[in-house]
Parts: sequence; C-alpha cells; structure tokens
Amino acid sequence: MEKYAIEVKDLCISYKNLKAYSIKKSLLRFKKTKVDEFEAVKNVSFAVEKGKILGIIGKNGSGKSTMMKALAGIFSPNSGTIDLKGNTISLLSIGVGFEKEMTGRANILLSGMLLGFSEEFIRSKMDEIIKFAGLGHFIDMPVKTYSSGMYSKLAFSITATLETDIVLIDEVLSVGDQRFKKKSYDKMKSLISNHDRTVVIVSHSLSTLSELCDEVMWMEDGEIKMIGDPDEVLEKYVEFMK
Amino acid sequence: MNRFIRDVKQYSKYTQHSAKAILKSEVANSYLNWLWWILDPVCFMIIYYFIFGIVFGAKEKYFLAFIFIGLTIWDFFNKTVMQSVKIVKNNKSIVSKVYLPKYILIFVKMLVNGFKMAISFAIVVILMIIYRVPLTVNILHVVPLMLVLFVLTFGISTFLLHFGVYVEDLSNVVTIVLRLMFYITGIFYNIMTKLEAPYNLVITRGNPMAFLLTSLRQAMLYGEAPDMIILLIWLAFGLLLSVCGIRLIYKNENSYVKVI
Repeated sequence: MEKYAIEVKDLCISYKNLKAYSIKKSLLRFKKTKVDEFEAVKNVSFAVEKGKILGIIGKNGSGKSTMMKALAGIFSPNSGTIDLKGNTISLLSIGVGFEKEMTGRANILLSGMLLGFSEEFIRSKMDEIIKFAGLGHFIDMPVKTYSSGMYSKLAFSITATLETDIVLIDEVLSVGDQRFKKKSYDKMKSLISNHDRTVVIVSHSLSTLSELCDEVMWMEDGEIKMIGDPDEVLEKYVEFMK
Repeated sequence: MNRFIRDVKQYSKYTQHSAKAILKSEVANSYLNWLWWILDPVCFMIIYYFIFGIVFGAKEKYFLAFIFIGLTIWDFFNKTVMQSVKIVKNNKSIVSKVYLPKYILIFVKMLVNGFKMAISFAIVVILMIIYRVPLTVNILHVVPLMLVLFVLTFGISTFLLHFGVYVEDLSNVVTIVLRLMFYITGIFYNIMTKLEAPYNLVITRGNPMAFLLTSLRQAMLYGEAPDMIILLIWLAFGLLLSVCGIRLIYKNENSYVKVI
C-alpha cells in the first residue's frame, strides 16, 4: 500500500494574463494595459499520508481555497505537480449544479452524477441522503422554494454521503441550524474515523482543527509558514494573529 | 481522442439527466406547459407564412412545410451556437465546483435543442401528410444530412465555448454574424430561384446551413438527392473543427475558472 495519498511538489498557481479580453476594449485602448500578476500559491510542497487528516489555516486570501481547487482538479497549476496516487477526490462544496426548478430528489441525482457516481449507486444512497438532510416533505419540492439553510443542508448531505477516497472540506462545517451543525460535525467525525479516508480541511475554527486533525498547515501569502503538530502550529498562529 | 470517448461514456448519463432536468424545469411553471414546445414553432411559422407567403407572395410548392423545415434546422443551429458562447459563465456553479469536460455542457444544450427540433420535425411530417407530399427513397438522405448538422454545430460550438470565456463581448459579434447567416441561409425564400446565377450556387455550397437546408428540402419535399461530394466536404470540415475544438478545450479548460 502507498504511504501517501496526496503528494504536492513545488506547486505554483497564479492568476496572471487571464483577465477576460474584450474586442471593444482593445479597439478603444491602443496602449497595452499592464497585466496584473497575482501569485496565489507559491512553491508549496507537502504530502499527506493515507488515512490522515490535514488541517489548513491562514488568513483570508492566503491561497487556501485556490489550493483546494487545484487539488480537486478544477484549477490547473502553473508549475509543480499534484499526485493523488489514483485516489478519487471530491471537494465538499455547496450546491453543485442545482437546477432550481427541480425537486430536491432530482437534484440529488444530478449532483451525484456530476461528482462522478453511477445512477444505481446514487439511488441506493438516496434514502440515506434524504434522511440526513432532514428536509421533510420539502425534498419533493422545487429547490427554489428552499431557504438558504435548507439549500446548504441538502448540498452538504449529498457530498458527505457520497464518499470518495479523499475528501476536501472548505469551510462548510458551519452549515444550517444548531441541530444540523451538530449532526454534520458528527458526520465529519465518522467520515474521518474511517482509516482509509484521507481528509483535508480548511477552517478558521481553531477548536475544530485541534480536535480533528493529525497535522496542521499554516499558510501565509501563498506560502507554507509552518506545518506540523496541531497544537504547536495553532499556538503560533494565534500569537501571530494578535 | 481515447480520452474523449472515455469521458463521453462516463458523462453520458449525466448529459441525459441534465437535459431532461432543463426541459422539465422549462415547462414546470407555465400554464400551457409542454404545449409551448409546439405552439412556439407553429406561431413563428404562421408569422413567416403571412409575411413571405402572402405579403411578398412566395410561390414555393408546399410553402408551409418549406418554411417549417428551414425554421426547425435554423433554430437548432442558432440556439446551440448562441448559447455556447456564454455556456461556461452561465454554468459557473458547476464549473467552479467540480471537474467536468466542458464540451459536455454543449452536449446538454444540443440534447435540449435537439428534443425541441424533434417536435418541430413531427409537425413537418404532419404538414407533409396534409399536403400529400409524394415520398421517394431520397428521404433517407435526411439521416446523413442531420448527422452533418450535428457535427458542424458541435464543432463551431466548441470554438465559441473556448473563446467566449476569454473574449467578453464575443456574443455581440456572434449575434451579428448569425443574423447575417440567417438572411443568406434562405429560410423563407428559395436561394436557387431568387438569386442570380453564380451567387446562388456560391451561397448554397459555401454556406453550410444553406446547403443543409436546401438539401433537406430537396430530400423531404421534392424527392431529389443532395450533392454527396459537398456533403462529404462539410462532414470532413465539421469533424476537423470538432477534433481541434476538443483538443483546444482539453488544453485550456482548467484555466477557465480563473477567468470567469
């Protein structure tokens, strides 16, 4: 068995040259506009062992979400490599491809398929998802009638129930009302307690990270400031943020 | 190319379900529901019939069926091409959350528009029965003609999908080009008889939509076979466009999210 589930080497992601271009603008402006270059992630290397939980912390705009997206295969890195060792991966995110006029039930099927699961598998998990979301009769109503909390609850239930080898969680632990929060936190824990599953969590909640993670990575301006034991890193982080 | 086949297989179920969901949600809240799919083309046909058949006095045989074939094909092409310019932006919620080959979005649109086209075609068949249009073997040419239509539409759409991401006002340009094409495609007049000798041939051969339209009408209404060589040329061109377009998308699709 492979020791690592994720290996990232010298990852760089920047947003240069990628401003949308318009014919009108280029006709009106002869001078070349300066290209803003913004490096969101700079030379980041790390590895996560199989079955371990990595927490990522850092202030807003430090490149956490960008890196998560790169891990999930949505962004292409400018340089460097991401090796997932053939594991399936999903980004736990809110409302993937919901069709607003359709019922919750139909949307479960649609989102699940987008995440790459087969129709049979989703149907077999359907009851579990519906039960977990706890929306009552709303599950057969169009999604547009949902409140924002219900919407996120459904989205969370889909991604949390349809499990992949690697799960990326981007600050969605605080979804829904108090009861659902508790439920989703427990679900997270049970997801995590499965020793074959590798998890990467981005969060601002120190208590979540120190309780759940085996290792914490602190990012600052696109670089790794520190990586290691949760308590040590979090202590330094709290000190730094004061 | 192998990747393309594998991806299409993997996402084919999603494509179908997504198209179904779009169609269902389109009619979910209107009073006449799916009747609109029939009413919409019928009303436009009546308008064009009134203007071109009565006001301008067009004298084509089976004129209603003649316009209807034109409208049906043009609508499919026009809608799919137009929608694909902004398709990535409009599906931001999907594109920024999971990976999916972006041309799958075109397939979804083609299925949706293809379904509407099938309804229009059913109306054409009804019209043909009412007119008692004599059927010949040549009607079988409809199959290769439709195939070329799909390939060409897909090929053009892939390029528009790619450039639509980077060029903000591409849709304005595309609207103008499509309008020009609309008038030189001969949807409500016969190019061959209304235009002077060299130009009519140039247009019917050089404009793929005009060629497909004219050939479809010939095959369905007037029992004539299409020009196979030109059909093959357009098929080859469509395939070439599609292959290049798919490559272009594969190469760049992971940067799209950074722009939108």
